Parts: sequence; structure tokens; C-alpha cells
Amino acid sequence: MAAVQETIDQVKKIDVDQYKYGFETKIESIKAPKGLDESTVRFISAKKGEPEWLLNWRLEAFQRWKAMTEPNWAKLRYSKIDFQDLYYYAAPKSTEGPRNLSDVDPELLKTYEKLGIPLREQELLAGVKSSRVAVDAVFDSVSVVTTFKDELKKAGVIFCSISEAVREYPELVQKYLGSVVPQSDNFYAALNSAVFSDGSFVYVPEGVRCPMELSTYFRINEKDTGQFERTLIIADRGAYVSYLEGCTAPMRDENQLHAAVVELVALDDAEIKYSTVQNWYPGDAEGKGGIYNFVTKRGDCRGHHSKISWTQVETGSAITWKYPSCILRGDHSRGEFYSIAVSNGYQQVDSGTKMIHLGKNSSSRIISKGIAAGYSQNTYRGLVSAHRKATGVRNFTNCDSLLIGDKCGAHTVPYIEAKNSSAHFEHEATTSKISDDMLFYCMQRGLSQEEAVALVVNGFVRDVLQQLPMEFMAETQKLIGISLEGSVG
Amino acid sequence: MNVAVMKTKSEQTLSLQAAERIPTLPGDKDVRRAREAALAVFEAAGLPHRRIEEWKYTDLRALLKDAASVTPQRSSDVDSKLFDLTGTKAATYVFVDGRLITKPKDHTIAGVTVASFSDEVSKNPALLAIELPETVDAGARSVIALNSALASDGAVITIAAGAAPERPIHLVFIASGAVAVRNVIVAGADSESTVVETHVSPTGAARQENAVSDVTLARGATLHHVVRTEAHEGSAALAQYLVRVCAGAHYKPFQLTSGGGLSRQQLTLTFAEQHASLDFSAVALARGAGHVDTTLVVDHAVPHCTSRELFKTVLDDRARGIFQGKVIVAPNAQKTDGKQMAQALMLSPDAEFDSKPELEIYADDVVCGHGTTSAELDPDLLFYCESRGIPEVEARALLIESFVGEAVEKIENEALRDALMSYATAWLRSAA
Repeated sequence: MAAVQETIDQVKKIDVDQYKYGFETKIESIKAPKGLDESTVRFISAKKGEPEWLLNWRLEAFQRWKAMTEPNWAKLRYSKIDFQDLYYYAAPKSTEGPRNLSDVDPELLKTYEKLGIPLREQELLAGVKSSRVAVDAVFDSVSVVTTFKDELKKAGVIFCSISEAVREYPELVQKYLGSVVPQSDNFYAALNSAVFSDGSFVYVPEGVRCPMELSTYFRINEKDTGQFERTLIIADRGAYVSYLEGCTAPMRDENQLHAAVVELVALDDAEIKYSTVQNWYPGDAEGKGGIYNFVTKRGDCRGHHSKISWTQVETGSAITWKYPSCILRGDHSRGEFYSIAVSNGYQQVDSGTKMIHLGKNSSSRIISKGIAAGYSQNTYRGLVSAHRKATGVRNFTNCDSLLIGDKCGAHTVPYIEAKNSSAHFEHEATTSKISDDMLFYCMQRGLSQEEAVALVVNGFVRDVLQQLPMEFMAETQKLIGISLEGSVG
Repeated sequence: MNVAVMKTKSEQTLSLQAAERIPTLPGDKDVRRAREAALAVFEAAGLPHRRIEEWKYTDLRALLKDAASVTPQRSSDVDSKLFDLTGTKAATYVFVDGRLITKPKDHTIAGVTVASFSDEVSKNPALLAIELPETVDAGARSVIALNSALASDGAVITIAAGAAPERPIHLVFIASGAVAVRNVIVAGADSESTVVETHVSPTGAARQENAVSDVTLARGATLHHVVRTEAHEGSAALAQYLVRVCAGAHYKPFQLTSGGGLSRQQLTLTFAEQHASLDFSAVALARGAGHVDTTLVVDHAVPHCTSRELFKTVLDDRARGIFQGKVIVAPNAQKTDGKQMAQALMLSPDAEFDSKPELEIYADDVVCGHGTTSAELDPDLLFYCESRGIPEVEARALLIESFVGEAVEKIENEALRDALMSYATAWLRSAA
């Protein structure tokens, strides 16, 4: 039970509402003029020195976006976002020019150090197999640095910022960009397509098992800015890659917008494992401030026997609107979704997944654990569908919600659509509070109430935690502890 | 965006029919005015369509190609085989094409009054209006408004406080064309009674039925509410049940819906007071191009209530089954206990089952769960039966019947249970 004790200690060290990553880095930055029109799109494209086709692609997206209306079907309440009152591009001044670790502004390096993100490549100790993670660090609108690039290159893996990929591997980007999430997919995806500034690009060639974990760390720093990153990951035939994503932002009284798009493509026999630990600033105890997180994530299991697995731990953001999905196009392909969504304070989470079975004998599994505390609202919304011709498909869904306190809400809105008889779909959902019996049992064994709650909660989310890479597991247990602080009793 | 929506053919026909019919329907000028107001509500909203979330899978604008014509009242020689409930000793009231035509000869049951809606609404115009809880969706509101405009008859049943009639009250609705039925059931305090409804049409008739039942259970009342609906190919049966349950009362509905036509059974239940319960089970059987929709909204508005739901759907050919079950637990409704299960068995590769169980929970000290499954017949079970010497046809029938039987068994009245099971069995075997 060491891990659990650790969680509790972590909780104790930190006061209620003390968001650990809430500091701001004082750094000079270049911004696009406030507001959004065609010139903003052109500004961003020019800033990145993009080719003509991408500019046109952005402009087309912008035209589509103008004709769209904001979705309002989610169980979320927030004041209307003024899309003209934002900076769509902000970059630290120092990032212009050659990008090498030694050129990076020490202020930025310090920021990442503070966040606990290793940007200096650790050497392998002789005989010791330490786990190493390659990091792409995105600060506001630009990628600051990408580590272990050379070593990855030796294996044939391309890991860089998407701006760099546009320059270096235009044919790959052009082939896959928007092929999973089209420009006009939804309101926020269209917005992102028009103004996306940076993000990561991964290409794992045929038969290659990526030698290390890849990760991107997103940081919003600048005031009044939105972050619009775009991630594109392609696993060619038989390739494997595991990718982690983390995010934080400073504490501010106003709400900031984050609208990302993530596209995954898995070809025949390929596997992509995508893990997220989302810890954007959730707002203060009164629900003031916090990030509005509107994200479109979708994986396309394009080849047969391909597999995409989403694991997400959602603890931050004032508003979360996010449905990482799998299009199971290939025969025998597999989609997985593991999620822990913890909401506290006045946070609102509307998250879930879509498993769209198009290929024969494709299978999927959904494990979703929602924990609502404080005054928060936590909704699971999901779709499982089997196409008429997708015979022999399987799905198992389990969504459990745990309520802590009587001011919060937990909701489940699943859609299950079986369009042929050979589809085997099972769905189960439960909602309950932590049972008094369980708490009593733990407490009569000498645990305090807080420790007992932490123990039960950790047990509740164990199924999902086990899916996370080792490095993240410990981190996540700590996060869950923090998010629930102050919710007992 | 406010785009004027084109009226569909059936909406236009419905409007024309209604304008013509309203002056001929029962009730004084107050009732008539209320009917006209209700028609205006319907005309403004139109038929429910897929843009209304609760009607996503049952898009009436697309499904109702045209409104059925209103058939003139027919004579009383109806085929009693259509609604036979032998052995239940039920007191049967037969409504043909929206008009009460036969009452049971011995229609006095102690503690029970059954009156016709047409008589009652003439005496009491307020009867036409129904107070709709917030949980009723926009589409259902429109359908109910159309019912208010056109309701010609139905039963007004009052069970006296403390009464426990042994005989079930059986309401039979036979129609060949468009019909709007309105029932009002009030179960008095601490009473226990059984009300059976049968909704059928003569073979080949294109009936379009819009039935609304307004049900109230007073404190401590128990109501067994059994409904059997047949919707043949080419016919449509829409039913709305609006139920209000008071303290300590137990509402126990059972629904058997079958056919190759369109049907939607929608129950909206509100727990108005504590310690009440709902025990709901339903069977839906469809083949051909059948479309069976069971929709349910249970509002746990107060603490200490229990709800149980069990739904079984069997789909053959190109039939489509829909289940939507929403359970709402209000912020103060602590100690709520809700469980729901919806299962579908698909007998043909072209069948489709769409399920949307939904939980909306605002209280923490609750136990709520739902489950839904859909699959074909388990080949292992089939093999097991066959290995025991049961021929395949027989084995399949056995397995399907046991699947359905689990829900039918919830009917407490034995004779009634047997009668309903034999209807289900007959339907299942009629295909083989």
C-alpha cells in the first residue's frame, strides 16, 4: 500500500485549491493581434513559413468555421466564449531561430524543471535499464524543444513538432493531416484547423517498435491566449508507439481556451497507445478562472489487426469537452478507452468515447471511472456502434461513477447502436457513493477517514491506472489525491 | 437559425382532419376551445423528429408517411379472439374506433367505477387538460397536444380507497383508422388493483392510434398495469403514460408490444412522495420492417424510492428495436435505489437495436445502475439443447421463450401471466 500512502502524504502537503502548476513564467513573447479573421490565419501561417497548400487548407477551415455554430448538447454551462477577445498566437521571443537545447532560453528550461519535465537527455547508465522518455515541449503556440531526436532517428522514428514536419516531411503531413478529423468535423476542430500553431508529429515506419516513450508537454503561459495544438501520429504497418501527453497552465481569474485536435492513424498490425494526464488549471474554489478544454481526439484503425488505446486521466480544466474515439475500420482491429475523470470545485466534465465498428470482428473495450466531488458535474457520454456489414464485433463497456458529497452530479449518457445481429454489445454502468461499510472497515483498521477515502478511490480507479505507463502511474495517483482534497465529509 | 419547416404530408392531413373533427367531438364549448388551443400547440411543433434528442431513433416526420383516415364507427360485432383473456375473469370494456361500445354485463365491481371519457369530459371540461411534468420532452408534448385535440373516448377509472378488487379491469381498444384515446386512472389510497389494456386492430387495417393515459397512485396504492399492443405492418401505435406516484405506492406496469408496424411506448413517471416504487417489465417483439420503441423517464424527485426495470426485445427480419431509459435522481433524493436492464436478442442479421440508457444523478447517497446487452442466440446454449436431443427449431423457440419469459414472469396475477405468455408464444411461433 506504499503508493496509497504516498497519495495521502501528497494530499496533506498541499492546501485545498493549491494548484501546484499555477505559476507564471515572465518571458517576452510575440503575439498575433487580438481577434480572429482571415489575416490572423495568414499571420500564423506566415510566421511558420508554411507552404501554399497549408495556408489554403487553413483558410478553407476558417471559412467553414464561420458558418458553424457552437455545439450546446453537452451537459456544460459556461458563459459564451468571445472568440474575438483572444490571442491566437503567442510565442516566446527567444524561440525564433535555430532550436537546440543550448539555445533555449534558460527561463523556459527553468519552467520545465519546475514542472518536473526532463528536457536534458539523460544518459543511459551502464547496465542499468532506466526508462527514458523523449519530450516535445510546447509552450503557448510553439514547440520549444524536442529531445532524443537523434536517437529516435536512428530507429527511423520521426518525432518533431508539426511545424517542423510541415517543412521536413510535407508529403507525410499532406497525406495524413485532416484524414481522421476533417476540417469541418465540428466547431472546435474547424477552429483548430484554421489557427493551429504547433503540436507534435510522430511517424513510426513499418515494423519499428519505437524504442522509448514519446511525450509532449503542453504549457499555456501567456494571458488571454488560446492554445490550439495539433498532433498527428502515424504508425505504419506493424509499428508500435506509446505516447504521453501532459498539460498545465498558470492560475488566472479569466478563462482560457484550449482547443486541440489529435489524429492517430494505425495501419495494418500497428499499435498506438496514447495516454493523457490532463491537469490544466481548474479554476479556484469559487469556480473563477480555469481552462476551457474543447478537444477532438480521434484514432483511425485503418489497417487490419491494428490497435489504438486511449488512456486518459482528467483532473484539470474548468470545462472539459472531450471524446477520444476510435474508428475501427480494419478487420480484427481493436479500440480501447480507459478513463478516469475527477472533478472537484465547480469543474464540469463531459467526456467519453466513440467506438465505431466498421471492420469485421473488430472489438473494443471501454472502462470509464468518473469521480465527482464538491459542486462539480461529471458526465460520461459515449457511442458504440456496429455497421451493418461489420459482423462479429464485440464491445464491453463499464462506466462507474462515484459521488463524494451531495452537491455534485454524475451522469451517464451512452448510445449503443447494433446494426447487425452478430454484434455482441454489453454495457453496464453504476453510480454510488463510497459505501459507509467500506469506510468503516478501513477506519476500524486504524486508517483516518481521509486515508480510507483515498484507499477506496484508488481501488475504484485501479483498472484504469494499470493501463498507464509506469512513470505516469505514480504521478496520477498523486493527482487523484490532490483533486479530492477537501472533499471528504 | 429560424428556418420555417415545411409541413410533412401527414402533418398537413392531421391538421385538416383535426379542424374538421373537433366540432364533432364530445365536450362543451370550453372543451372545444381547449381542443383548438391544443391543436395550435401541435401545429406549431409538428410531429416529433430526429432533431429532438428523445426522438432521435423514432423520427415520426419521416416514419409517418401519411395520416390514416378516420373510419366511421363500426358495429359492435368485433372478433373477441383479438382480446381474449380467458381465465382472468376480467371485466371487459370494448372501445371500437374511439368509442365505448360494450360494457361487461356484470360491471359492478365493489370499489371500482369505470366511466367513459366522452361522458366525463362533457361533465368536467378540466379533465382534458393534463399537467405535464418538466421531464416530458418537446416531441411527446406535441403528440400529447394532438391527443388532447382529438381524444374521442377512453376510460376514466377510479379505484376507491382501500379497495382490492380481485377481477382485473380490461380495456380493449380496436381501431381500423386514426384514433385518439384518453384514459384516466386514479388508484385510491391503499387500494390494490389490476388494469389491463389491449390495443389491437382487425387484420390488414391501417390503424394509427395516439393513446394517452394519465395515471395517479395515491398513498399506499398498488396498481398492476398490463398493456398489450399489437401494431401490424402499416399501422402505428403511439402511447404516452404519465404516472404520478405518491407515498408508499407501488406502480407495477408490464408491456407486451408486438408487430411489424411502428410503435412507441413512452412512460414518464414521477415519484412525488417518498418510499414509493416502480417495478416495470416489458417485452417487445418485432419482425418485418417493424419498429418498436420503448422510452422511459423515471424522475426520482424525492428520497427513498426504488425503481426496477427489465426490458426484453426480440428482433427478426429487418426489425428495429429502440430502448431509451432515463433515470433522474434529484439533488435531495438520497437513498434512491435504481436498477435497469435492457436486453435484445437479434434473430436476423439485418435487425437493429439501439439502446440509450441514461443516468442523471445529483445526489450522492444512492445506488443506481443500468445494463444493456444485444446479441444473437448463444450458439453454445443452442448446441447444449440439441445435444440433449431437442431439434433445432424447438431449441430456438425454447431459448427465445425463456428469454422473454423472464420479463413476463413479473406479472403477479397467474391467469393474466399465462394469457400474456401465450400471446407472446403464439407470436414467436407464428413465424417458424
